[in-house]
Amino acid sequence: MEQFVNALFNGLSLSSIILLTSLGLAITFGQMRVINMAHGEFVMVGAYMTYVVQNIVAVVVPPSMQGIYYILAIPVAFFTTFLLGSIMERFIISRLYGREIDSLLATWGISLILQQAARSIFGTQGVNVTVPSFLEGGITINGCTFSLNRIFIILLVLMCLLGMYLIMYRSGFGKQMRAVVQNRSMAQCMGINSRKVDNITFAIGSGMAGIAGCSVALLGSIDSTVGQSYIVNSFMAIVLGGVGKLAGTVLGSSIIGFSGIFAEQYTSATIAKAIVLLIVIVFLQKRPQGLFIVKSRSLDE
Amino acid sequence: MKKLKNQGSNICFLVIVILLALAPILAGAGIIKSTSMVLFLGKCIAFAIVAIGLDLIWGYTGILSLGHGLYFCLGGYAMAMYLKLQETQGGITDFMQVGGLTELPLIWRPFQNIFVSMLMVFVVPGAAAGIIGYFIFKSRVKGVYFSIISQALTWAAYSMFIALSPYTNGNVGITEIKSLFGSIKGSGNIDNMMKVFYLALLLLVLAYASSKYLVDSKFGKLLIAIRDGENRTYFSGYKVSKFKTFIYVISAVFAGVAGAVFVNFNGSITPSQMTISYSITMVIWVAVGGRGTIIGAIIGAFLINLCEYNLSSGSLVDIWQYIIGAIFCITILFFKGGIVGLVKERISKVDRKTD
Repeated sequence: MEQFVNALFNGLSLSSIILLTSLGLAITFGQMRVINMAHGEFVMVGAYMTYVVQNIVAVVVPPSMQGIYYILAIPVAFFTTFLLGSIMERFIISRLYGREIDSLLATWGISLILQQAARSIFGTQGVNVTVPSFLEGGITINGCTFSLNRIFIILLVLMCLLGMYLIMYRSGFGKQMRAVVQNRSMAQCMGINSRKVDNITFAIGSGMAGIAGCSVALLGSIDSTVGQSYIVNSFMAIVLGGVGKLAGTVLGSSIIGFSGIFAEQYTSATIAKAIVLLIVIVFLQKRPQGLFIVKSRSLDE
Repeated sequence: MKKLKNQGSNICFLVIVILLALAPILAGAGIIKSTSMVLFLGKCIAFAIVAIGLDLIWGYTGILSLGHGLYFCLGGYAMAMYLKLQETQGGITDFMQVGGLTELPLIWRPFQNIFVSMLMVFVVPGAAAGIIGYFIFKSRVKGVYFSIISQALTWAAYSMFIALSPYTNGNVGITEIKSLFGSIKGSGNIDNMMKVFYLALLLLVLAYASSKYLVDSKFGKLLIAIRDGENRTYFSGYKVSKFKTFIYVISAVFAGVAGAVFVNFNGSITPSQMTISYSITMVIWVAVGGRGTIIGAIIGAFLINLCEYNLSSGSLVDIWQYIIGAIFCITILFFKGGIVGLVKERISKVDRKTD
């Protein structure tokens, strides 16, 4: 029983991390049909920003209040990647709408540059952030320990999910965004500045990667390839869930996260991950469009 | 002028082959000082072969595979397993003993025989691609979805190879192997090196000729039709998924052969050649050289690797990553046809002026 609860908690934790990295992709890939291979590097930028903020705070603030760096790091990481995403959309992505495969390749070039930049600035050795004191330790209930930083990440994901939902479905901007996605020329006729909407949409998606980076920083050391390890799972979560649906992304990430943890009970972690991906690929043979299908009569959807 | 235009790529290829053929002779005569340069050119030949394979499916058929490193490695490992067993006289290797095995695993047995091993270089990647391609293309997964799935598949295979370390030696890979004709390192083994090098060159010529034949035939026109209008091709009565699977298998076999050639020159194979980033590096070669032209793939593979070889040593090693990233990005954004596309444009401009 204890083992089962632990596995359940670990599954929830892994799912939430995959979901956090997928949320940004759900916007950039799901809504805008841009395959941002540099998304993993945005996660890395977010993680490094956490490290930078920590070092700055360590100088400015007395030691007893060190923990607040993490609260500061989240908006800083968001806005840094938001800005990066906005610049990237302006100069690169905007030329590549409708050319999905080319957008994938061009952003890969960016990701090479960002990785090297990280190596040049922070060195090839991984760096670590200290977990803030209010997230140390865990809660023990009936012999099951739930570590606080993982609970925090789950809460963070819920917050982001809520935020995303509000932006996409409950705000004026979200309405414009969905209008542009559904019918660009009609939206333009209605007076929507589609260039601006595209830019902000992509930037929000990138900003999500920054927040994901903050949580990734809590879990282990940060190096230039930290984003790469999450990106494959995130892309698969989007495809499995069905492109273009927020609920699909949530379900896709949970399936990959939970099945990964449960497969781990029987075999090693690496093989478990591989098996899960293979199962997802086999499943996609049955439903190539994913779990949640956006109904359309168009031939090439 | 017209002749130059039609035969341009063949002439270009001929020049490349002659230059390559001269390299070991020059090294033998002592004009090229180090044999390592020749070994490097040998590796470039392998890269050119895999680039041709990638170009067939990406440039001509429009299927972007982000997982050709997998097939490259399957071919490479098949060759490396045979060569490793030559070293141990068919006995068990060190890393298997470390991994706790007492006798040669079943999966290694076929590689004791040279003919079976050489067959495996073709069959293993071909069969893997056949199974994957059959199912994926049958369910009409296409475009970026195929790319994402191929990348996940490669990543899964990569973790498997690392996890099964008693059989594959995990991260380290199969190392310290000689080539098919014995050791090729050092000045005393120039004869062996020449044999391997010319065999590789022969394979490159074969790969070029066969793919040129393929794309110039009706089949090649069909591939382009699939790239430019998949649904139209379906409606015209062609079973697109079959053609896609076929070309995917061909391309995987090319990658497998390339892997086998690579092992001979490199002396080792590691799972890092199977990673996603390595697979995309192969795509960079094709994109920069010029997708949709066989010669472009070859030029791209040689050019990028030669640049990397010369630049990535010493102080420039950091800058190289920036350069390659920027080149790739700019190529995709502004020069869809790559180098060959640029040259073609210039030729047709000159052509129009002379007319």
